[in-house]
Amino acid sequence: MIITPSFWFRAVVVIAIMVMVYLFLPALIVIPISFTDRYYLSLPAKTLSFAHYAALVTNPMWRDSFLQSAMVSSVSTLLALTLGSAAAIGAWKMGTRLKSVVRMMALMPLIVPTIVGALAYYRLYIHLGLLDTFTGVIITHVVAATPFVFISVSAALGNFDERLEHAARSMGARPLHVLARITLPCIRPGLISGAIFAFIVSWDELVVLLFVTTRNVYLLPRAMWDGINDNVDPTIACVATLMILITLVCLCTERWLAHRNGN
Amino acid sequence: MPRISLPLALAAPAVILIGAMFCLPVLQILALSFTEPRIGLENYVALATDPLYLHIIATTLRICAWTTLVAVVLGYVVAYVMANVTDRIRGWMMIFLLVPFWLSVLVRAFAWSFLLTRNGFVNATLMTLGIISQPLHLLYTETGVIIGMIHYMLPYAVLPMLTTMVGIDKSLVVAARSLGAGPVRTFLRVWLPLSLPGVMAAIVLVFIMSLGFFITPALLGGGKTVMIAQYIQFGISETMNWGVAAAFATALLVAVMLSLVLASRTMRIKNLFGAT
Amino acid sequence: MPNEHARAEPLLRVSALTKKYGDSKALDGVDFSLEAGEFLTLLGPSGSGKTTTLMSIAGFVQPTSGDITHRGKSITRTLPEDRGFGMVFQGYALFPHMTVEQNVKFPLSIRGLPAGEISRRAESALERVQLKAYARRHPRQLSGGQQQRVALARALVYEPEILLLDEPLSALDRKLRGDLQWELRNLNKESATSFLYVTHDQEEALSMSDRIAIFNQGKIVQIGTPSFLYEHPANLFVAEFLGKSNVLDARILGPDEENIAIDYEGGVISIPRSQVATSATGAVSLIVRPHKLRMRPPGHGKLAAKVQAISYVGNAVHHLVRTAAGAPAIIEQVADSALYNPVQGSDVSLHFDVDAITVLEARGDCRKRLAATTDPSPTAKDGK
Repeated sequence: MIITPSFWFRAVVVIAIMVMVYLFLPALIVIPISFTDRYYLSLPAKTLSFAHYAALVTNPMWRDSFLQSAMVSSVSTLLALTLGSAAAIGAWKMGTRLKSVVRMMALMPLIVPTIVGALAYYRLYIHLGLLDTFTGVIITHVVAATPFVFISVSAALGNFDERLEHAARSMGARPLHVLARITLPCIRPGLISGAIFAFIVSWDELVVLLFVTTRNVYLLPRAMWDGINDNVDPTIACVATLMILITLVCLCTERWLAHRNGN
Repeated sequence: MPRISLPLALAAPAVILIGAMFCLPVLQILALSFTEPRIGLENYVALATDPLYLHIIATTLRICAWTTLVAVVLGYVVAYVMANVTDRIRGWMMIFLLVPFWLSVLVRAFAWSFLLTRNGFVNATLMTLGIISQPLHLLYTETGVIIGMIHYMLPYAVLPMLTTMVGIDKSLVVAARSLGAGPVRTFLRVWLPLSLPGVMAAIVLVFIMSLGFFITPALLGGGKTVMIAQYIQFGISETMNWGVAAAFATALLVAVMLSLVLASRTMRIKNLFGAT
Repeated sequence: MPNEHARAEPLLRVSALTKKYGDSKALDGVDFSLEAGEFLTLLGPSGSGKTTTLMSIAGFVQPTSGDITHRGKSITRTLPEDRGFGMVFQGYALFPHMTVEQNVKFPLSIRGLPAGEISRRAESALERVQLKAYARRHPRQLSGGQQQRVALARALVYEPEILLLDEPLSALDRKLRGDLQWELRNLNKESATSFLYVTHDQEEALSMSDRIAIFNQGKIVQIGTPSFLYEHPANLFVAEFLGKSNVLDARILGPDEENIAIDYEGGVISIPRSQVATSATGAVSLIVRPHKLRMRPPGHGKLAAKVQAISYVGNAVHHLVRTAAGAPAIIEQVADSALYNPVQGSDVSLHFDVDAITVLEARGDCRKRLAATTDPSPTAKDGK
């Protein structure tokens, strides 16, 4: 129920709106920058120019880093989805003690500060010879993304009635058969959500990249980081704009799917 | 042949991967802080005595404290409004909250680095409104870093508080008003106390995230404002001082763990990580 | 000879089944057997062990000790998917992502039957529950009663020997429950499948079952046909759980040839040994069913009482009275009968035939029983 808004509430709403403007608008500044007609970071002076967008495709550094990111993130998402959902389903079937151990392990990458993890990876990869390799980076992305898949799939399992599994088993279905034909189809929204969040996490990851990669593996966030530190090329604004778009698409898809499944 | 339990087989790959490739290496870093370059506590002694390190710790704590304070206060206002509007409006507000939430921190920091320049958007607006006469020096200062960090942390502050507030029984507010309490008193005596668990969660979450923050302070601090995370990277790439870097990392980890333990006394951890 | 033994062996036998969770016993030595084609109900209050027993038979709960045999072969360690029983759940457990038809076909597709055979059997299963027209719908488009019938069709389509039912009707409203009870009974009699039914609703149990096993605190306290249990309850729990009972405190005075003399509020009464179902020697309870208790004008019966309240339940009238010593009693009479019908507040005298009485153990626990033997007057506060 909504009570008639008092003066105080209206005042508070105004403040809230200002805060949300502060939250939402700043990132949008990159959009006009990406269309600037000058060759340095600036707002468009006379006309809008698509030159920098063209540079995204023609400049091998941007093009290759984009493709590398796409490849790494796709592979990482698939792996994180598999590992994370399996762990969530396993934990769901376990007794309380074991379940909290698994849950704690699965959420560790969220709890430990990223910088600490980055340091740990760096030292480990020196020993293992995985510095600046795709395998090394993919492992870090899978570890970072798995908690998100775990949370998403666990939430979906919260709404899944285990008696559906009992019913299937009582009719003679083997456990793996039950998993494939009953459980997974019923938690599909959670799987898709988890995959989308895993992709975003992998796509945006930078801190660990700074520690474990140099030249050979050059992903998009790294390219952006170098670009921002050089602070000249407006192409980085184009990348930023595209990243806003991709995030928006992923989010809207996820929300639309959630809405469709009656969330 | 003994049957391997299906639940264990399902959970094993993730647990083994995270355990071997993440947890163990992190523990090794912890150990490193006590063994490099010599076995002992000298790294921690240095942390506690060397003026440079103390300055970094103080800077970090100061920035984190300000960020947490402002983010939680502003976040409270947003959460309050979101909890008290219709579902439809809340849905729209949620989108405005979630888009920046999921947007790359790099994009956001980059945007701020453009907005905070001397003739950037922020200064221009403030001067137009007549609040200042001279452009403020915002970029590459502590203030700039705090502005950028608050921007990142706001959704993390709003979400736990929103979860708690949505669960507050609205009829309690109606009851208080019907008993004669005005809006301010109702807020102070009924709503605020009931919303405190969410506030605690928000404070803990924002604080522990701010402690280890890297990208925003690096981009907006410009080498002048140095927080712990930046120094760790500097220590590895420039001075090769593994011992101190590991000590800082360990201190960070311990601070985070302690905060979580404290928080788990007041509310369930699950809410922190299920807040999306 | 093996064949002789096979004939004597029941379809399912449960022996000394025990299940402990830590220190508490959910099941404490459960023994019973199920014959082919039988409708056996496990009846009891919540937490009495009936669902745990059913789940042990299904294979989802591992008993701590005891054995379950199917046709003489032990299945205690067998996996649920290998036991070959059918199962119906309280929440129907229909697969939401499949149509009604696909749900019913599921168990057949696991058994690797040819597609034509699967379609044929699924169709006839749906016809048996009158839901052939709903084959293409999804479960959420069906009502509760329809969903339950689909669940039945799905569980019976592969013709299991035993169907396990876990309170399948408790989520439905009363009228629907009544209709489905008839359907369940018919399904049992028309097919060769034994039904093992769990419920806490004693009216349901009485109306549907061939036999009832009454559970209390992890044990079966009595097992038998509905009429036998109703007429000859073995203890106070059964007498009060199954149908209504009037309980009057009493004391055994001593044997009196083939009868036992019992002293109660209405005086001394001589009861045949066959109606005494307790070995207690001091305080006991006299049980009389409400429809066997009569009211007469004051002075014309065995026991003085006052009418406290009257309630009409459609086909019957209940008079709630209180005796002079404060014991409550209910008299049930068929409505519109010419029997005595006093108003609230009237004084009446209660009457009953001696053969309407069962003598059972006294109310309260052992300690109270010991106290009662030292204190001659049965105290009215010994209620539960």
